[in-house]
Amino acid sequence: MGVDIKSLKNRIKSVDSTLHLTKAMGLVASAKIRGATRAMMKSREYASALENTVSMLSSAKSCEKSQYMKSGKKGNICLVVVAGDRGLAGGYNSNIFKLAEAENAVKIITIGKRACDRYNGKTLRVEDFTYSDASGMAKEICKAFKDGEYEKVGIASTQYISMMTQTPRIDWVLPLEKTERKSKADIVYEPDEITILEAVMEEYIAGKLVAAAKEGFTCEVVARRFAMDSAGKNAGEMIDALSLEYNRARQGAITQEITEIVAGSGI
Amino acid sequence: MKTFKLVISTPDGDLFSGEAVKVSLRGTEGELAVLANHIPFITSVKPCTCRVEMENGEEKRVGVEGGLLSVGTDVVTLMSGSAKWE
Repeated sequence: MGVDIKSLKNRIKSVDSTLHLTKAMGLVASAKIRGATRAMMKSREYASALENTVSMLSSAKSCEKSQYMKSGKKGNICLVVVAGDRGLAGGYNSNIFKLAEAENAVKIITIGKRACDRYNGKTLRVEDFTYSDASGMAKEICKAFKDGEYEKVGIASTQYISMMTQTPRIDWVLPLEKTERKSKADIVYEPDEITILEAVMEEYIAGKLVAAAKEGFTCEVVARRFAMDSAGKNAGEMIDALSLEYNRARQGAITQEITEIVAGSGI
Repeated sequence: MKTFKLVISTPDGDLFSGEAVKVSLRGTEGELAVLANHIPFITSVKPCTCRVEMENGEEKRVGVEGGLLSVGTDVVTLMSGSAKWE
């Protein structure tokens, strides 16, 4: 028989150990999904509450003068890229990078180990990204934007729609868009809209960053779970096919031995 | 005393959500306190210790590192990047 029984056995063994690995990673990911989803929901609430207020403020007439409403140097784009800490999550990381690279940003700020490795940033894990990290980043972004360094600032992250769907997108946070939303006329601003807007801007950006990081992490674990599920399925199919081949080879070898013995005995 | 709904919102979730009698903190223009039926009002908050008076008269203290206070007709929201019970 041409098939080498020993090498088949080795292949089965190696696929089996891969199966174990994917199973374990899938389990870890699904254990993390719940916590990640909860954290995402909470930070999302906070960010959307801030966003409501900011859009209310930015629709006010006096805020048109704000530095945050004006674009700086044309073509200079600052992008915050939120990717995962680890690979083996299907197309999660590469989808984000594809989207980010299409923008030709002059400045890239990274969150997540994969993104940091790719753009030579300081390693910052997305899993334990905290508000104080975000706050530092937001301060830097706001200062540079106020100095007119960037035309616009965006956050490239993955949006979590459901367990089955996540889409990468860029959320342009600066300059603020003037919304045609009617602000409730009887709200008192102390001292006035523009001062509050300027004061709250860093907080707003930081809140957005935290929300994007939490959302990205949720997408990462969900993507990994599904990737590991299908990898596990493929490994199972492969083992089945290989075992079949192995058994055939073994049987073939035995049959051949018997034939040889019978032929040799000269009956 | 009349109460109002107070929500202290942070990126890690709501630190507090419930009825309160009075909340006092430091705004950009100085110390201020909000009682029930305050007019709709928005101000930014400076780093300070925010004091919340509960229905039972108990006073709770929250350390706030800046943020935004938004007083609506039905709910008062204090949004802060980091807020902790003291």
